[in-house]
Amino acid sequence: MKKEVLLEVKDVKKVFPLSTSWFAEKKYVRAVDGVSFTINKGETFGLVGESGCGKSTTGRLVNGLIKVDEGEVNYKGNDLANISEKEWKKYRKPMQMIFQDPYASLSPRMKIKDILMEPLTIHFPKMSSSEKQSIVKELLGKCGISEYHLEKYPHEFSGGQRQRIGIARSLILKPELIIADEPVSALDVSIQSQILNLMKDLQEEYELTYLFISHDLSVVEHISDRVGVMYLGSLVEVASKQAIFKEPKHPYTKALLSSIPQPDPKVKREQIVLQGDIPSASNPPAGCKFHTRCPLAMDICKKEVAQLQQVAEDQQVACHLY
Amino acid sequence: MNQLLQVKNLKTGFRKENGMQNVVHGISFHVNKGEIVGIVGESGCGKSVTSLSIMRLLHDTPGEIVDGSVMFKGEDLTALSERQMKKYRGNELSMIFQEPMTSLNPVLKIGRQLRETIQLHLNMSKKEAHQHAISMLKSVGIPRAEDVMNDYPHQLSGGMRQRVMIAIAISCNPSLLIADEPTTALDVTIQAQILSVLKDVQKQNEMGILMITHDLGVVAEVCDRVVVMYAGRIVESATVEELFAAPKHPYTKGLIASVPKIGQGINRLYSIPGTVPSPSNMPTGCKFAPRCSQVMEICKIKEPELIQMKEHDCRCWLYQEKEQEVEHIEKGSSARG
Repeated sequence: MKKEVLLEVKDVKKVFPLSTSWFAEKKYVRAVDGVSFTINKGETFGLVGESGCGKSTTGRLVNGLIKVDEGEVNYKGNDLANISEKEWKKYRKPMQMIFQDPYASLSPRMKIKDILMEPLTIHFPKMSSSEKQSIVKELLGKCGISEYHLEKYPHEFSGGQRQRIGIARSLILKPELIIADEPVSALDVSIQSQILNLMKDLQEEYELTYLFISHDLSVVEHISDRVGVMYLGSLVEVASKQAIFKEPKHPYTKALLSSIPQPDPKVKREQIVLQGDIPSASNPPAGCKFHTRCPLAMDICKKEVAQLQQVAEDQQVACHLY
Repeated sequence: MNQLLQVKNLKTGFRKENGMQNVVHGISFHVNKGEIVGIVGESGCGKSVTSLSIMRLLHDTPGEIVDGSVMFKGEDLTALSERQMKKYRGNELSMIFQEPMTSLNPVLKIGRQLRETIQLHLNMSKKEAHQHAISMLKSVGIPRAEDVMNDYPHQLSGGMRQRVMIAIAISCNPSLLIADEPTTALDVTIQAQILSVLKDVQKQNEMGILMITHDLGVVAEVCDRVVVMYAGRIVESATVEELFAAPKHPYTKGLIASVPKIGQGINRLYSIPGTVPSPSNMPTGCKFAPRCSQVMEICKIKEPELIQMKEHDCRCWLYQEKEQEVEHIEKGSSARG
């Protein structure tokens, strides 16, 4: 069975200017520096990396919240990178977003009912109020919030409940692709597992495709089918979940995996403690960006950038070792 | 027994319009010399308030210690005056906080902030303190320590700042270090560095560490013993191996099961239904009863005691009843005999 490609990101780049004084030399941050990946319909693609690696920016480039500088974002074969704001409106419906902070992503002055009905009012101006209400009620129930909460304000809910409301809002327009940017990072573990289970259930029911952005490898392993690992604006490894977690190839992926504390004191594993800090994105090292911290760095790594290349079926690595 | 810290029946509350509201409800635990004890729990369970109570740092908040004692090397910290307490703080007792960004003074150079603590407690000259500070920075793995002494906090990365915090905290060779979520704000590769630094300095100085965290992975990695808190109470405490191999309390079991583990390959995670009750709206009886999968009638009416079973304490009626039955039988047989 051939998998249908829903989203194809091709060599996307984004540069942010750093605000400096008028006279100083202009400086730039290469937030996303040539990222390419594809997401098939119905699968979950996990994007992991440490803070500042550009994973959130990538998510925002995909759904047009930030304009792409270079490269293509193909959604069902249509390039969205250079279309106007007006044309974008067509694609807002099938592409929705879940945000990290359930406290900041819901307007404190709107009732839950109004928050959830707003997207319908914008995209279906002719829909009657009762029709909207019934859609909202059904979805809210699916997300585990009872109907009688409709008249309440966001501050009356706990973090987990707010995230459920955020998820319900993203589903209102029956999207195909959901970009979830750290959806469980702000939640306690017992609530985190509730939300992860909910996201899996909804995926099955509505045949959703997720772009799941997170810094937490255990969460990504749990929810994803394929995983991309980012470091300083570039993908260093893209592979199926099985390949990444059983046979990681890139030294950074290996170090990242070995750094996660496992909730089992009996597991004694060889830990690779990386030396040094993450270099600043405004002044990344030449050659392979990871070479300053890489335990296996060679001479070539300091000069030449390694490109992503196929090393196994469904496994791509950007490293001179391969 | 080398008991360094013994907290007995500690109750801490916050002043509200309608009187005191307790947040920590009579908790007792101890930390031995050279031991790392973890306190785990979700947000709002009272773990940070416990650490602030031990350090007596609640006076800026409307909180206060209502009852109980905190024995540190045979001295009750709750009975000390603020002036006496200052001699302990930063010296014998030290603390590192979650946010390395906000716990350093942004307008003072790193060197000055380190020297301040050292000169205050160790009676050193400025020059000696400077040398001592550099050696401290080196011991936590900061490269070019001499240069960092002249940097301001904003010039350092998050991981570096947390190293500086640790250097300040251990500069007077404390016997007890309280670490309140020391790695929560950091990335995993940096977290691994910081945890290994902490373990190293702990071994060198035979420090006791009280590690407060919500991350069961961190607990399993570094702690010797664990205390699990829920709604201001200790629900279970045991050695790390015991707790992860054979958790007793339904809450601990649920907590461990809800963490996704790499290579586990399950489709659905276990999840504890519901949310943590708010302090103003606590259920009567066992505080975990509304979310518990093994709830019984008695759980809703009466709160269980923390019962002690061979180095493994647990607050749950499931185990209480067995104990009582045993007592019953024993009583019965002795009466007959």
